[in-house]
Amino acid sequence: MKKKTKKRKNSKAEVRIPFPNVLAVVLVCVAASGLSYVWLCARCDTLGSEIKRLERERRTVRQQAISEQDRWSNMLAPANFQRVLKHHRLNMSLPDERQIVRVRRRSGGNVLTLAACRNAKDTDAL
Amino acid sequence: MHYKGRTILASVLVAALFAGLGVRLAFLHLKPSAETLNRIEEGRRLEQETRGPRGRILDRRGNIFAVDIAARHLCADPKFILEHGDIQQVCEAIQDIVPMSRPEIWKLLDQPQRQYVRIQKYMREKSLEPLMEKKLKGVIFEETSMRNYPKGALGAHVIGFSNREGVGSAGIELRMNSYLLGTTGLRVSQKDGRRREIYSRRTVDIEPQPGADVYLTIDQQVQYFTEKALDELVQEYRPQGAWAIVQNVRTGEILAMASWPTFNPNRYSDPNLPSEWMRNRAVGFGYEPGSVMKSVIIASALDGGYVTSRDVFDCEDGRWMYGGRALHDSHGEGLLTVADILKKSSNIGAAKIALQMGNQKAYQCLKDFGFGSRTGVDLPGEEGGILWPVKNWSKISITRLAMGHEINVTALQMISALSTIANDGTRMRPYVIEKVVSANGQTVFETIPEELNRPIRPETAKLMRRLLARVTQPGGTGTKAAVQGYAVAGKTGTAQKVRPKEEGGGYYPRKYIASFGGFLPVENPAISIIVVADDPQGAHYGGTVCGPAFRKIADQSVRYLRISPQGFPTEYVSGLESIPFSEEVP
Repeated sequence: MKKKTKKRKNSKAEVRIPFPNVLAVVLVCVAASGLSYVWLCARCDTLGSEIKRLERERRTVRQQAISEQDRWSNMLAPANFQRVLKHHRLNMSLPDERQIVRVRRRSGGNVLTLAACRNAKDTDAL
Repeated sequence: MHYKGRTILASVLVAALFAGLGVRLAFLHLKPSAETLNRIEEGRRLEQETRGPRGRILDRRGNIFAVDIAARHLCADPKFILEHGDIQQVCEAIQDIVPMSRPEIWKLLDQPQRQYVRIQKYMREKSLEPLMEKKLKGVIFEETSMRNYPKGALGAHVIGFSNREGVGSAGIELRMNSYLLGTTGLRVSQKDGRRREIYSRRTVDIEPQPGADVYLTIDQQVQYFTEKALDELVQEYRPQGAWAIVQNVRTGEILAMASWPTFNPNRYSDPNLPSEWMRNRAVGFGYEPGSVMKSVIIASALDGGYVTSRDVFDCEDGRWMYGGRALHDSHGEGLLTVADILKKSSNIGAAKIALQMGNQKAYQCLKDFGFGSRTGVDLPGEEGGILWPVKNWSKISITRLAMGHEINVTALQMISALSTIANDGTRMRPYVIEKVVSANGQTVFETIPEELNRPIRPETAKLMRRLLARVTQPGGTGTKAAVQGYAVAGKTGTAQKVRPKEEGGGYYPRKYIASFGGFLPVENPAISIIVVADDPQGAHYGGTVCGPAFRKIADQSVRYLRISPQGFPTEYVSGLESIPFSEEVP
């Protein structure tokens, strides 16, 4: 019985593969480096995708801004303005010369002159 | 033994497998064949060229006249739709959006061998939104950009248009094409299996730059007043064409330039649009100006001391024989002073004044006022008009030139001559481009008002202004051009229309060119305006046909531009000033 046990112990010792500590450390380092590399690559790809998304967003926003400018400009075209005024039954006209009150700054000083401008009297304009 | 053997076998197999992979990797990475390398490179390579948007065109207050906007080409992958999609559903969805019938769309999509068809080019994103929301399989929306003119036909002849390839083809778009063009960007990178760019492999990335913005001297509101007045003229007198210009007399800048018939530059490629409608008549149509020319001849005669405003001429009761040919006045007059010759527009009186100057002097004065050569305006298609040299003149030529015949001018030349009188005898080069601003906000080009010459002295110009002011006063030919509250100087012109040689030459018996040109306020002019109508119906006198249009433009423009009756734009106190709204986005 004793003999048998001894034999088994010997056979186990024969199949054991030696694994030096240094090699284990090297392998762990390689694995860690590999994993870091993979992680960094993934991170780069994520950031790249994020940058691309932001680029797309910027382009879209720019296009929208231009589109809004275009729409706004179209709305402010004098003909459209007139059409809208007509639609709302608003009758607007430029003021008559007699209806204008000219407020002028005298060239010599800071004194403000308020003049209900009669055309002939508005000589300081000259 | 059994256990050991299996372990070794497994280890060998795993080692062999890894060794194989290692060898393959080594072959691929360490010494791949050139063919393999090329194949991999080509399959992954991504090279994109992107054109920067074309610069904008804006008026003097920053209102946008032309801008590049985002657009889409509506495309499809018929093979994919037939294999994985629903052609019926796609047809139904598309036919609501594009101006095509269902069979036409079906025919386009029913091509199992094709993977790409373009259904409709240059569509606004807004119009495609409903289709995009449906997310139909096999329908592709290709990104592109297109030129848009938000003001429609307003200022169309000045702005012009650019074609689908983004190249300026008329007007400012053509003239300033090199400034307006954006630079092309380049991106070199690699793509993955799904044809998406791998950002980390991007090696070249040059951003496309937008083109420079062109600011015009045109004011959209004055332009609108002008076009509206022309429309009303056209409705009333149904001419073959009509055109008008508004100019700042001090600088030569053009505030408005309109031509009828007109067109919408957004639809320049419409096959039903006659090319003649795109012609800017204000700079490209030569005509005999008629009596407006008397203002130039008389100004030169006064300046040269050949006559004074009080000199009296016999106007022969409306009929005078000279050089074997009769010269007529529309109203017979007897003795008239030079001032009255201008006011009543006597052909005979003007002819006699010109005769006092002599051929050479008359020719020289017309040259000095810029006739017979281009003004140098920064617009394409300008005509120089025709002023024959003296050696080609007949005996009666000078009498005809004095009344604006035997000479071919453009409206721009004529308004330039009138502005010269208004600007104390100094002729300025007309221009429509104020400045060019690059995408980064730097002014790369700016027009500085340019003095061309001084055909008459300031005193003569002042006298002429007063003489021309009488034309719009009671008894003159241009009373319909008078503006309430302002003194207006101007001159009417009515000339028979020249008949082309192919039709026999000479003049059409009942076709006229009517015009009215003038400026205001008389004592200190700010703006000059000319209105011309080609072959008006129902009436043909310049004062009758063009005078009211002149008045409408002048009346609204002086108030909008805040020009007081004394001529100075009113200087408002800061804070009370009502600056017209600017659309410009900083």
